[in-house]
Amino acid sequence: KESYSQVTRLSVELKNTDVKSVLEEIENQSEFHFFYSGDVIDTERKVSVSFRNTDIEKILTEIFYNTGVEYKIVGRQVALYKGEFDESNLPAVQQQGVTGTVTGADGLPIPGVTVFVKGTTQGTVTDIDGNFQVSNVGPDAVLSFSFVGMLSQEVVVGNQSNISVVLEEDAIGIEEVVVIGYGTMQKKNLIGSVDQVNSDLIENRPVANAVQALQGASANLVIQQRSMNPNDNSMNINIRGVSTMNNNNPLVVIDGMITEMGSLSNLNPADIENVSVLKDAGSAAIYGSRSSNGVILVTTKKGSKSDKPIVRVSTMTGFQDPDVLFSPVKGYENALLKNQALINVGSSPKYTPAEIRDFQQNGDGQWFLDGILQSALQQNYNASISGGNETSTYMVSAGYYNQESNFVGSFGIERYNFRTNLVSQYGKLKLSALMAFNRTMQKAPNASTGFLIVDGSRIPPYYTYQMKADNGKYLINDVLSQFNPLGQLEAGGFQKKDDDNFLGSLNAELDVAKGLKAKAMVGLDLGANHRFIRALEVPFYSSPTAEKPNSYANQTRNTEDYNEKRYILNTQFLLDYNRSFNEDHNVSGLIGVSNESYTRQANEIKMRYTDPDLGLPQSETEIDPSSYNTPAQTQERSIYSIFGRAGYNYKDKYYGEFSFRYDGSSKFAEDYRWGFFPSFTGGWRMSEESFMDNYKSNIGDLKLRGSYGVLGNQNVDDYSYFTTYTVYNNSYGFNNEAVSGTGFDFGNSMLQWEQSANFNIGADATFFDYKLSVSLDYFNKLTSQILLTPVVPSVFGGAVAKENAGEMRNQGWEATINYHAKTGSVDHNVRLNLADAKNEVVDFGGNEQIDSNDQLRKLIREGEALGSYFGYKTDGYFGSYQEIENSALPIGATVEPGDVKYVDKNNDGVIDDKDRQVLGNAFPRYTFGLNYDVTWKGFDFGVLIQGVGKRDMFLRGELVEPFHANYSYVMYQHQLDFWTPVNPEAEWPRLSAPGSSSNQNNWGRASDIYIFNAAYVRLKNIQLGYTLPKELTAKAGVQKLRLSVNAQNLFTLSNVSFIDPESTEFGSNMGGTGGTGANSGRNYPTLKYYGFGLELEF
Amino acid sequence: CNDLDLAPTNKFTEANYWSSPEKANMVLNMAYSQMYNSGYFFSTEALSDNIYEGRGSSSEKIISSGQADASNNRFANEWRDCYGGIKTCHTFLENVDRVEGMDEDLKARMNAEARFIRAYLYFRLTTWYGDVPLFETDITLDESKEIARTSHEEVLAFVRNELDAVAAVLPTNEEYGEEDAGRITAGAAVALKARTYLYSNDWQNVVNTCEELINSDQYGSYSLFPSYEGIFLPENEYNDEVILDLGYVPSLRTWGEYFDYAPLSVGARVNQMAPTQELVDDYLMMNGRTIDDANSGYDENDPYVRRDPRLTATVVYHEFPWRLPDGTIQTIYIKPGTAPDESAEVDEYKGQGTNSTSTGYYMRKYYDPQSLAAFTSGLNLILIRYADVLLMYAEAKNELNQMDENVWNSTIKALRERAGFSDASALNFDASLSQADLRETIRRERRIELALEGLRIFDIRRWETAETVLDGNPHGAQYGDPSIDNGYIRLDVRSFNPERDYLWAVPQSQKDLNPNLGQNPGY
Repeated sequence: KESYSQVTRLSVELKNTDVKSVLEEIENQSEFHFFYSGDVIDTERKVSVSFRNTDIEKILTEIFYNTGVEYKIVGRQVALYKGEFDESNLPAVQQQGVTGTVTGADGLPIPGVTVFVKGTTQGTVTDIDGNFQVSNVGPDAVLSFSFVGMLSQEVVVGNQSNISVVLEEDAIGIEEVVVIGYGTMQKKNLIGSVDQVNSDLIENRPVANAVQALQGASANLVIQQRSMNPNDNSMNINIRGVSTMNNNNPLVVIDGMITEMGSLSNLNPADIENVSVLKDAGSAAIYGSRSSNGVILVTTKKGSKSDKPIVRVSTMTGFQDPDVLFSPVKGYENALLKNQALINVGSSPKYTPAEIRDFQQNGDGQWFLDGILQSALQQNYNASISGGNETSTYMVSAGYYNQESNFVGSFGIERYNFRTNLVSQYGKLKLSALMAFNRTMQKAPNASTGFLIVDGSRIPPYYTYQMKADNGKYLINDVLSQFNPLGQLEAGGFQKKDDDNFLGSLNAELDVAKGLKAKAMVGLDLGANHRFIRALEVPFYSSPTAEKPNSYANQTRNTEDYNEKRYILNTQFLLDYNRSFNEDHNVSGLIGVSNESYTRQANEIKMRYTDPDLGLPQSETEIDPSSYNTPAQTQERSIYSIFGRAGYNYKDKYYGEFSFRYDGSSKFAEDYRWGFFPSFTGGWRMSEESFMDNYKSNIGDLKLRGSYGVLGNQNVDDYSYFTTYTVYNNSYGFNNEAVSGTGFDFGNSMLQWEQSANFNIGADATFFDYKLSVSLDYFNKLTSQILLTPVVPSVFGGAVAKENAGEMRNQGWEATINYHAKTGSVDHNVRLNLADAKNEVVDFGGNEQIDSNDQLRKLIREGEALGSYFGYKTDGYFGSYQEIENSALPIGATVEPGDVKYVDKNNDGVIDDKDRQVLGNAFPRYTFGLNYDVTWKGFDFGVLIQGVGKRDMFLRGELVEPFHANYSYVMYQHQLDFWTPVNPEAEWPRLSAPGSSSNQNNWGRASDIYIFNAAYVRLKNIQLGYTLPKELTAKAGVQKLRLSVNAQNLFTLSNVSFIDPESTEFGSNMGGTGGTGANSGRNYPTLKYYGFGLELEF
Repeated sequence: CNDLDLAPTNKFTEANYWSSPEKANMVLNMAYSQMYNSGYFFSTEALSDNIYEGRGSSSEKIISSGQADASNNRFANEWRDCYGGIKTCHTFLENVDRVEGMDEDLKARMNAEARFIRAYLYFRLTTWYGDVPLFETDITLDESKEIARTSHEEVLAFVRNELDAVAAVLPTNEEYGEEDAGRITAGAAVALKARTYLYSNDWQNVVNTCEELINSDQYGSYSLFPSYEGIFLPENEYNDEVILDLGYVPSLRTWGEYFDYAPLSVGARVNQMAPTQELVDDYLMMNGRTIDDANSGYDENDPYVRRDPRLTATVVYHEFPWRLPDGTIQTIYIKPGTAPDESAEVDEYKGQGTNSTSTGYYMRKYYDPQSLAAFTSGLNLILIRYADVLLMYAEAKNELNQMDENVWNSTIKALRERAGFSDASALNFDASLSQADLRETIRRERRIELALEGLRIFDIRRWETAETVLDGNPHGAQYGDPSIDNGYIRLDVRSFNPERDYLWAVPQSQKDLNPNLGQNPGY
């Protein structure tokens, strides 16, 4: 080992200076310290020296040439003497104690930093204040400071007794540890396609749940928020697009335990340490039969080994404003437009001039939609305490989340989260107990969101319309003749849910031998859900003075209870081997077995005509025949698995890995039950090659990687392999008595897994001294044996059993770019991800399938993307009667100028089924997320922008079609650019009353008039924070005090002005092979959030 | 840990299903439920000139406006539903023998019931589509992709043979026990067979078949229920006039279409469809004369007085006395500007594209006074009743030029008496009428007697009058612009292409899957 004197290079250039000054200069430049006696050594002597990068011995030899002065170097101490060296000339080399503080770049102390004396086993960790103390170290000792996510630092003790260390954040994260399936791996050694999202992207955002927080966070982790309703937060999650016609949900694993998507939403986002997204076969194959849609691994926070507990308290409170993007025209305008629509098709106008004048003179009343929506409060509180000592760590947290509904009345959601994560080291045995409890309590209106929105929005703002009279009576009118949404919300009852969830695991880890660990885990995910519905009868009157109600809502006065208990029991045992030989050969291996059992049971009792006050049964009460007991809703399934991984890397340069899983599932019959899912991965850190030295020192790291594997998907209904007979009660009646009927579903005992052959190639590179890092991936997946219900002619009389028949290809790419730069005290961090995935149905048994819903047509055709929109292409609007005469028309259509003209694709002179074509696809393409953070002194600022580059959106209903099918009575501002003889270049066709031939021609067909460009860019989150200087807060015992303001969904750029471009009718499998509802734009409005946050740390 | 061998707890499997007559019977019950349904029962009437659909753009509305193409949903669904029911029948017929120890007589009867339902479904198919695939045992998936259509005549022959066969096995309405009320009877088989002949204009066979029911008790005993209104009231279900009906049970197996048909002031949600002026105009005056008869006494300004009492049992008109479930009478005000208060005003005619009636009328027949909230009703829907047999008989007799006083008295007169006519001029046979006059009278009688029962469309198809009555503008009451059509509300134009519309299209999706099906002309 080289000594300090050997490695230290000095540059001294002094002319005609005394020796003393030269020695002082050396001391200044280095840690050398000279010892000598002025009586013996002539330090006044003038010398001229000129050294560049020279070691001390050479300098001293030259200075004292021919003076008889000798030197001796001991560590950093240099003794100068003449004649015989006398030990006593040097002060004793002392063993000393060192104390110090570790802080981050922001000046805040970092607790839990590992400090150890290099080459020894001696070490400690910093306490809550970042302080540490090491005793008995010599001046030669080197202290090493390391902390996850920070660049490690080494400091020579020298003669310092107090050492302050500032740790820099590890921008490139090359030392970062990434969570992978059943283990962790250093990022530099990662060869799978794994993206890790750390807590900083999840914390401090006023999101309802962890899934929302992940939107835009990782390339090709496509999250679509279909509804912002706090009581129905439905979200689509796809990793790398759509690969199967069946379930495309990724597998969710929380702290090593395989759970369900719902459990992810139940987590407290503040408890999450990181989320790994496994995208390719190499990283996901270890999850075998359920990994083909990717895997989401969540790791929760653990305590760190600091002496003093760390207490954190935070809150985020804000308001959510409903952002309704469409608005009605003025009342009198609406009456004029309605008349025009009627006159255009030869009908009599509806409104008299007197009525129209009356609307104009009296002005408008409140639009009903405005009357049922309000701003709502959202609150988020979190508290945690964590800490630990040499043997144990703990993290205990509690969270409370409350989001009010934006519907009037008092609705909303509350969530309580508790967690304790304990880790104890007992000799070679490490035990962890991770337990989380969550209770979610909801109160939702007892009316569907769609109906509430539509009843509020399809009505003109006539001053004559009122939802509630001054005397409290709820009113109906000629267009809302059944009930109004305010009455439903205020008096119609509620749906209450109280869901308890427990997620916990016990883990034991034993160091068996060097590099070999045995691990065992038992985990339980338990959910006990209860829903209680009270439907209250609401009378509606035609006028405030009416005595007798005209209609009622909830006349059956239902009282309903639904109870569900669901648990997943996860048992696993594994051996993990990890060792380096001769420093160059790094070997890892893993083998494990597991079982996962799922059981769900539910019952539901519904009563009609219950007591109006208490909801209890009374003499006229009936049991609703759709009530059921436990056997009707019992599901069980089980998977036994053997899985493993073997990896080898040479000098962190060449990597090879094999992993597999062998699964046996209860979803399949005995002979087809077991499936084997292997994967191979290879990697090459090119920049470690000697011929790349130049590249490495000038440009940075470069790694190439690739993987191939076969993954499975068994996400199909339970018991599909049985032919089943289902008894339906009350199918028919004889002599006024109901009888049961039996339906049958055919099973196929040869069903087995879907298989997805998955190829991935990628590269990771860093530039500019690790400031910039780029990851690129290309993937190509071919999913075969897709479980399909074959397309069957109706003549067959029903569905046949599912078959492993379909095939789909899904390919795409991802780019992730991170940039970290520090200029002075300004610290920038930019994270950009950009991705695309495109699928194609390869094999659909030679058939095609068109599912229809209203004007929506959804196509499954070989060669097209799954669930493509299908229908007629429009070719503008007819300009003249002559044009009409010379154009192909739909069968039976009578049209006028201004009506929609369709493309006669086959040129046969008539518009019919044969002219339909593919019109687009609703799956998001070119998805991106951009995160920019900057800190300056105590200030921090962050924005998150997220969007979709290409997507087609089908939208029908009143937001598109004026006076939609006579169900809507109002036109909206965005519909005013309609065709008239003087406005031939209009956006919309001429007005035509529903029922007319023109209306049927324009709006009654599946055409691209209903298809919109739904690309968008959204400022998802913007945040400004300020952390008070520690000197100020420390006096009050506060380590950190941060204040912030925050806004969400502040603005969206989109081609569609009147609806949230994120709204879609499709779930994550594009409707699969079944139908799907059409999007009618009756969504809960987009919410804009404005709020502030407070973080405290003690 | 759960085992890997898990069986469903909420369903039977092949291993444990065909184990008892009760379970076999449940498959038969399913077939019953697939015979027909309330949705088709009422929407089929909107295909005819009796009803106008004022809201939305349903498949039926598109068909009636002449704009249907081969992808029309009703075309696809009717086809699918019929073959779905046929599948259930075949499943029953081909598995019932697996049940051990089943009583042979019971098995024979149940087989006959299943065969009747299959015949009923084939008859529905061939009536709408003409030639349709016909098979007598369950088919395989491969066969279903290749099967060709069998001619209309062969399908009808199969249906008639089957009905003959099952009529010999099935009990009569009197032989069944009370608990079996609503099961298919021998009489139903005979009556359905008469209908198959009627739809083929095979008059002699109509006469012969109807006589088996009129002149003999071999296939059961049927008679007109004394009250026309009463036939459709829940307390009179399974009365002696009912030959075949769809079984519903209050609050358990229900239908609720009236929620969108009844006047709004008595609790309806909106008005989906309503009777036309043309239907109302066909109701005779109490003196038996048509309203355009100068001597009828008809007053355009007071049009609903002294009319055939069946009008009141069928159609809600201005100032209609609606009987509420508690027995009280509520007057329905439809004429604009006449309602005494705001709660009554909701029923007024307010123009096209509104929530209230589009024609100035509401539907009345099949309103169930015992229905629960949202008009949830357990009232049976009658598919064939004895009055229909009498009307078939009268029509066939007249077509054979055999109408005489005897036939008249046992058919038209009986129906009119039951309806509440008392004037001799309305009741007595007028020997001076020509065959053509009588044809018009009988056809009108048939329209009125069976209005809103889903049969009108089949009559105007077989009479080939659809091209006339389903072409042009239908009308509503006289609440419209006085300068147009004499003030009768002019409704959206309809069109009927005689070259195409007498048959429905083979559904496009089915033709795509099986090119052997071919297509009907014009699609």
